[in-house]
Amino acid sequence: MSIEFFLDGKPVTAEAGQTIMDVARANGINIPGLCGEKRISKTTSCFVCVVKDKKTGKFLPSCSAMPARGQEIEVTTPEVLDMRRTALNLLLSEHNGDCEAPCTLACPAHAAVEEYVRAAGNGNFEEALKIIKERIPMPITVGRVCPRFCEKQCRRNIDGEPVAINEFKRLAADMCYDSFMEELPELTGKSVAVVGGGPAGISAAYYLRRMGIKPVIFEKMPAAGGMTRYGIPEYRLPKALLDKEISHFVKMGIEFIYGRELGKDLQLDELQKDFDAVIIAIGCWQASGMRCEGEELALAGIDFLRNVVENGCVAPNPGKLLVIGGGNTAMDCLRTGIRLGSPDVTCIYRRTEAEMPAEKIEIHEAKEEGVKFQFLTAPVKLEKRDGKLILTCQQMVPGEPDASGRRKPVPQPGSEFEIAADTVIAAIGQKTAAPAGLPVDRYGCLAVKEDKVTISERLYSAGDCVSGAATVVEALASGRSAALAAAKDLLGISIAPDNPINVSRGRWQELSRDEIVVLRDDLSREPREKLDFISVEERKSTFKEVTATISQEKLAREGKRCIECSCSDKNECKLRQFAGEAGCKTDAYSGIRQSASYDVRHPQIIQDRGKCIKCGVCVKICKEVVNKSLLSLQKRGFASCIGTAFDQGFPDSCRECGECIKACPTGALDWRKKR
Amino acid sequence: MEKDFGFLETIPADPGNLIKGLQLLQATEGYISNEGIRAAAKYFNRPEADVEGVVSFYAQFKRVKPGKFQISVCDGTACHLKGAPLIHEWLRQELDLRPGETAPDGVFSLETVACLGCCSLAPVMSVNGRVHGKLDRKTMMKILKEYAAK
Amino acid sequence: MSTRNITKFKIGLASCGIAAGGEAVLAALREATDLPILEVGCIGHCYAEPIVEVCFDDGSSVMYGNVKADEKSIRNILALGTDDRFEIPEARKARESLKVLALAGRIVPTDLSDYTANGGYEGLKKALTLTPEEVINEVKISGLRGRGGGGFPTGTKWGFLAAKPGFDKTVICNADEGDPGAFMDRSLMESVPHQVLEGMLIAAYATGAGRLIIYCRAEYPLAIKHLKIAIEQINQAKLNDFGDRTVEISIKEGAGAFVCGEETALIASLEGQRGMPRFRPPFPTDRGYQDKPTMINNVETFGNIPVILREGGEVFAKTGSDGGRGTKLFALAGDLKYPGLVEVPMGTTLNEIVFEIGGADPGKVKAVQTGGPSGGCIPVELFDTPVDYDSLRSLGAIMGSGGMIVIGNDRCMVETARYFLDFTHRESCGKCTFCRVGTTRMYEILEKIVAGKGCENDLELLEDLGKKIKAGSLCGLGQTAPNPVLATLRYYRDEYLEHVNDHQCRARQCNALVDIALDKTKCIKCKLCIKTCPVNAISSDFVIDPAVCTRCNSCLDCCPKNAISRVAKGDKQ
Repeated sequence: MSIEFFLDGKPVTAEAGQTIMDVARANGINIPGLCGEKRISKTTSCFVCVVKDKKTGKFLPSCSAMPARGQEIEVTTPEVLDMRRTALNLLLSEHNGDCEAPCTLACPAHAAVEEYVRAAGNGNFEEALKIIKERIPMPITVGRVCPRFCEKQCRRNIDGEPVAINEFKRLAADMCYDSFMEELPELTGKSVAVVGGGPAGISAAYYLRRMGIKPVIFEKMPAAGGMTRYGIPEYRLPKALLDKEISHFVKMGIEFIYGRELGKDLQLDELQKDFDAVIIAIGCWQASGMRCEGEELALAGIDFLRNVVENGCVAPNPGKLLVIGGGNTAMDCLRTGIRLGSPDVTCIYRRTEAEMPAEKIEIHEAKEEGVKFQFLTAPVKLEKRDGKLILTCQQMVPGEPDASGRRKPVPQPGSEFEIAADTVIAAIGQKTAAPAGLPVDRYGCLAVKEDKVTISERLYSAGDCVSGAATVVEALASGRSAALAAAKDLLGISIAPDNPINVSRGRWQELSRDEIVVLRDDLSREPREKLDFISVEERKSTFKEVTATISQEKLAREGKRCIECSCSDKNECKLRQFAGEAGCKTDAYSGIRQSASYDVRHPQIIQDRGKCIKCGVCVKICKEVVNKSLLSLQKRGFASCIGTAFDQGFPDSCRECGECIKACPTGALDWRKKR
Repeated sequence: MEKDFGFLETIPADPGNLIKGLQLLQATEGYISNEGIRAAAKYFNRPEADVEGVVSFYAQFKRVKPGKFQISVCDGTACHLKGAPLIHEWLRQELDLRPGETAPDGVFSLETVACLGCCSLAPVMSVNGRVHGKLDRKTMMKILKEYAAK
Repeated sequence: MSTRNITKFKIGLASCGIAAGGEAVLAALREATDLPILEVGCIGHCYAEPIVEVCFDDGSSVMYGNVKADEKSIRNILALGTDDRFEIPEARKARESLKVLALAGRIVPTDLSDYTANGGYEGLKKALTLTPEEVINEVKISGLRGRGGGGFPTGTKWGFLAAKPGFDKTVICNADEGDPGAFMDRSLMESVPHQVLEGMLIAAYATGAGRLIIYCRAEYPLAIKHLKIAIEQINQAKLNDFGDRTVEISIKEGAGAFVCGEETALIASLEGQRGMPRFRPPFPTDRGYQDKPTMINNVETFGNIPVILREGGEVFAKTGSDGGRGTKLFALAGDLKYPGLVEVPMGTTLNEIVFEIGGADPGKVKAVQTGGPSGGCIPVELFDTPVDYDSLRSLGAIMGSGGMIVIGNDRCMVETARYFLDFTHRESCGKCTFCRVGTTRMYEILEKIVAGKGCENDLELLEDLGKKIKAGSLCGLGQTAPNPVLATLRYYRDEYLEHVNDHQCRARQCNALVDIALDKTKCIKCKLCIKTCPVNAISSDFVIDPAVCTRCNSCLDCCPKNAISRVAKGDKQ
């Protein structure tokens, strides 16, 4: 006997035995639910599937409630969606696990670190490179110059040193780059102009081509690579390797047109006429001055570095060299100065060493090569006297913390002193030289909408010119975003964004070693593999690459150091999926989480209780379908959990049928995939 | 030596009598041991995991051996208002016990109970089922001393 | 004054009497006299226990309260002295209407003949002369609504079960009185077990049930004992033999789970399962205990049935108000002079119950909490509210089973709300997300607030979460758990705001916001406090170290001059 009722005002018919959820599904409305399973009796636990009875004002679990004649059920009103979101938020608030691993979350490009480390560690370098290039189109470069955001969050830091993640990229790229080629779709006829051939522009072009859009890159310099070519010195990134990296994009059919600068020999309105869309990725090429008297007497750091590159690493000895600034560009200038034969290279920085923005490893290597540092020192005047440059400096003392949280240096009155030098380089920072007609924000960067890439209709921007001077991997990520935005507007295709729901057990800095969950049996307790450096003498006199690519043997050992933090169920977990769809936030409610108790006593099955939502579906499957009753709900309230008798784990009578795993909506019960 | 759980047979072996059986087990043994769970599962024809689930659901059942004197401090509303938290504080100071714990010498164990139904005599606690009402620090100390001397 | 002779004594030995030392008094009295001493139940004046009633041959009696087991007290009683004389307060006499409790504390609970001699089983006899439909009709006319808290019309519920064919049906008495602060059911079962069982037998007759089960919490051993004796007596007297069937009566002990007050959870527990509620429908009257039609009423509801049958539904309905018929038992406790069990007509105002009957000091009362952890508080300004199902609901509280806790001015309402959530979040069965995680989150927020670490935003979070938990839970526990918080937020928001904004607890109850201070002008330097302090927080020159002090009040209690007090954190006296 059928019953007629209303779903969101629309008349529908329920057949006998159908729940509201069944009827909704039959009418094309998918109500999310975590605890429903057709083969077992009702659990009615998660309340994610609630709907509202308009007349009584009551919320009903649609997985269990049968419709009544004439009932008006609200399924998608804001109030109902809010209830569902709250249910999911509450479940997330007690969830104790990691969806994605912290390395992946730390990576600006969101690369699947755990996966490529595993592939390369197992010797599967093709596969590793494929995974890497999903997010990092320039692995030869990034494998050498990346500041390694991932490694800073690696949980192995708790043992002193992170997994050497970047070496996996570098070796995979060095080994397989020539033979590797993406599967490219047919061109769709759409084309996009990309202004700027640096990492952001290349990345945008790369992903456009992978989606069937023809990109044309317009580059003002005679060669591509942007700052990776003209800013990063040879000893960190050999230009022959960069050429090899870029040649791949040409092979892919990306067109590079050199010697064209926006606003000079390239006009935006013409590009917009000739192409379906334009992406601006012109970088940050305008050096900031020292903001003191005589600053014009100093060389700009990026100009100095570019000059060395353009002349094939041949340049005059700068003599006694002073570099003002504490960032990576300053380090590059200092170390290049050493290699050009300078007998005396000094870094002048107005704060303390701990506050230097340069990478620690760069500072360390600079010191090894003989660079001297003068901290808490600021320039006040630069002048030329008797053919020498005289830099007047002032001693600084750390004052009150500023907006960045660092203590603002305050000049010490009467502490002025002079330093004589042959060359003074200002490596203070860079700005975007925005072409006329483009909107800029208060920092002088190109102004974009909330998606961080769209300037206006079919005009996008990516990389340093949006963010200010940043890293290669950030530029690559930004270029990908711009390409996705363009593809969406041009082709209507939308690549599913990364699920924003990422529950985390916490940063390693906040965890104790006991709290770090290890799900693999063969974790290596060895220290991080050491890289081979060329000798300091060789480093000081040549532009040879400082470190060699790691060996395969070392990499295989290093791969076993990865804890593999991410959830084995991250791509199938219904909680994560529905929470993402519902716009949930992992921090909507704070409070105690379930304790991270995971059971790996069974050789095939893992029970990770921190991820359990207590729906009891596994219990009922084992009882009502498998007819075994090996699991039960135990305790009650917040402490309730799924357990076995005497907490002895799955007994021998478990046939490993996997029904409980299949039915578990989260990763609380799973195969031990990561062994 | 294997324990004898023959006393369970005073109850009909209907699976629905499990809780009754567990109550008898606890009354006999003082707590519910693993062997007790196995015996009850077998006798009442229930899966062991299931029995564990039932035992852990109810506040009455204890899985560890309690002390010789079980102190149950009532934290019903009236007792709470009239100072149950202070009783806990005093017991913590005097016996170094927190709810759910048994003293190392096995004399006292402490638990919190929802309501003993003696609200008009609040605050109250019971020792081995015997209710003591209108407690203050002095009377409580006196009661403890009396039991400790037994 | 005519001379009269003592014929017997009655001593109150319900749980409250025993806890107050009644057994020792009984022993002492036995030593001193050979006259019969009857062990009776509770007359409701628990504050005066142990109570000894001296009965005379002319039918009159006098009572002695707070009796001690020493020789002097006993001699005083035997000599009919004036010490310890106990009179029922006039105000209470005037307001109280003893119907259900008429025999409580007046008869020997386990003596069937004492019960029948006082009108017991008259109701059942009357019922058996009627058809089952007529009995149900009588209950419907009486207007009786479920006394367990829900307030569902009892006659209607009986009708549902009666409509099912056959006798393979169960009537359950819910005696799992789980509300902390409520003891009406305990007292009834201990004092007049036959009255409860008579009500159940009438229900069995009217609904066609062949099985009666009492689900009683294990914390009530005396009630269980009395019921078991009474059941045995019924079996022997064949009071359960209706000709076409002999009704089987059994008693099952709960094992400590508040949620088992919920009918589907109670049934699961009776079946030997975890006491977790399930989605309804099917309702128990369709599929309940052992999948057979089942009906559940609470102890007090059954206690009313013999009264209805004896005096007739129409007479019964004359007592009470439109919001509820008959009388209601309340367990009065908290900050008042006369805690105990009272029975008043429905519609009696809170003023009458709390101040007149309970003897609470009007200047010192802030609120009452009705309905236990499922209910809400009602501020003293609204005490002219008549107590019935509908009026209480409109104030954000509920009648509940009848627990009524009087909250004095020196109690913190935030802490009170925290207390209730502490209870409910631990008693949640863990099934529904909103209840399991939501109540835990609410509890944590309240913990934060009483620790002085809350913020104003937390109040909105509590309100939003509270409303959603009520809407998104399967059973009554989750549907009512946020009530104490929502009600205190409604009536005492200023106290919450003081905690979060000023880090102050005006009641000086929240330890994190309180210091212990010593008034040197009152101190006589007796050093009792220094000796008493269990953590040595008081120095030899009477300075209290707030970092060491645990605010346990030991020094306050022992100070002979009341020189020590709780003050706002940071305040020195």
